[in-house]
Amino acid sequence: MKWTSTILGRNRRVIGFGTALLLLLLVTLFSTTVRPFIGNVSSALILYPFAELKGYISGLQNVTDENRRLKNSLVETSLQLSALAEARRENTRLREFLGFDAPEHFRVVPVKIISLYQQVYPLAAIINKGSNDSLVVDQPVINRFGLVGRIKEVMPGFATVQLLTDPTNAVSGRVAESRQFGIVRFSPQRGMYFDNLPADAEINDGDLIISSGLGGVYPAGLSIAIVDSVFAAKGEILKQVWLNPTVNLYEIEELYVLISDTL
Amino acid sequence: MRILPYLFYLYLLGLHVTILNDVTAIYGVTVDLAALLVILVALHKGDLTALWFALVVGIVVGSLRLDLMPWEMLILGAISLAIHQCSRRMNLESLTSRLLLLGGFLLLHKLTISLVLSTSDFALVLIRQVVPGTVYTLLFGWLFLLYRDGRLTWDKLKALF
Repeated sequence: MKWTSTILGRNRRVIGFGTALLLLLLVTLFSTTVRPFIGNVSSALILYPFAELKGYISGLQNVTDENRRLKNSLVETSLQLSALAEARRENTRLREFLGFDAPEHFRVVPVKIISLYQQVYPLAAIINKGSNDSLVVDQPVINRFGLVGRIKEVMPGFATVQLLTDPTNAVSGRVAESRQFGIVRFSPQRGMYFDNLPADAEINDGDLIISSGLGGVYPAGLSIAIVDSVFAAKGEILKQVWLNPTVNLYEIEELYVLISDTL
Repeated sequence: MRILPYLFYLYLLGLHVTILNDVTAIYGVTVDLAALLVILVALHKGDLTALWFALVVGIVVGSLRLDLMPWEMLILGAISLAIHQCSRRMNLESLTSRLLLLGGFLLLHKLTISLVLSTSDFALVLIRQVVPGTVYTLLFGWLFLLYRDGRLTWDKLKALF
């Protein structure tokens, strides 16, 4: 053993260079056996950990990109969903309206609200049709729940609807059951009420108030309101009746103008 | 324990060829870290050590392209021996002389590998990759030599900013 180590020690450089040359020769000559083997060992020992790290980083990057793409897609989808939901609501409203029959001698013209004029409560609405579409002043305006108001001003492409919540707009109405007449009014302090109803008139909570057809503006039978409460003070000649409009005037959207067939 | 720095260099090279090479590339111009490491080791270590380090570096770089493995081993081995001989016979005290040596052999390595690959548009490769790549690698070599000479320290870097 001592003999061997002495030889190795004395010829260390020669052995070192010789082995290096041998390795180079082996790698050069045996391109299908030694070279791939050494390449695989080198890859496994030196490159593999970093290749794995690179794969992990690139995976994370892909996940980040995918996440960003999905977020964008989610926003787009939610926008589409909102549009679809809105279209569905509109579809429902229009389908409900299909069952609506216009009063005799009237036809309906669908209109859209462009703007709503409010002072605490809505007073008037601007609609997207006017005299070009045969709209004239005092035509009744309804939606699928009942009477909304009447046309107050008309321009070629627009018209103003005076809503029932305008205190200057009074409608002649009657109790659907008892056929008693009265006037539907609105006051900012009291809300909607049924005026001019005699103290002995038959009226109960929940009764429907409809248009009477008197006055020449509104056709008879349009729903106006539901009786909310009735108060008859002793000695008074009129009953005090508070109403809930059948149309929620804060949520009006599609409206229909009733146009007389004679026009 | 003497082998640890070389292992560190090899893993640094592994990190470079797998990840950093793409990150540090500027318009396709890359750092030739393999040649840089071999030259720096050959400048400061013995010839046998430098030769073996060069062969292993050649294997690591060549494992990505097996057809280039013997060429890389041969060229890097030859460069390591040549550098060692130069460092023994020449006065390499000044930074400029070492940089010239470094630049020359970096260029030689890139040139020979480009010739081995024998692309048809060699002139284009020379102008667009070999020369800029050599300059780019030389920049890192210059920084390393400055650091090794103690002319580039953390305190000096801090003073710059």
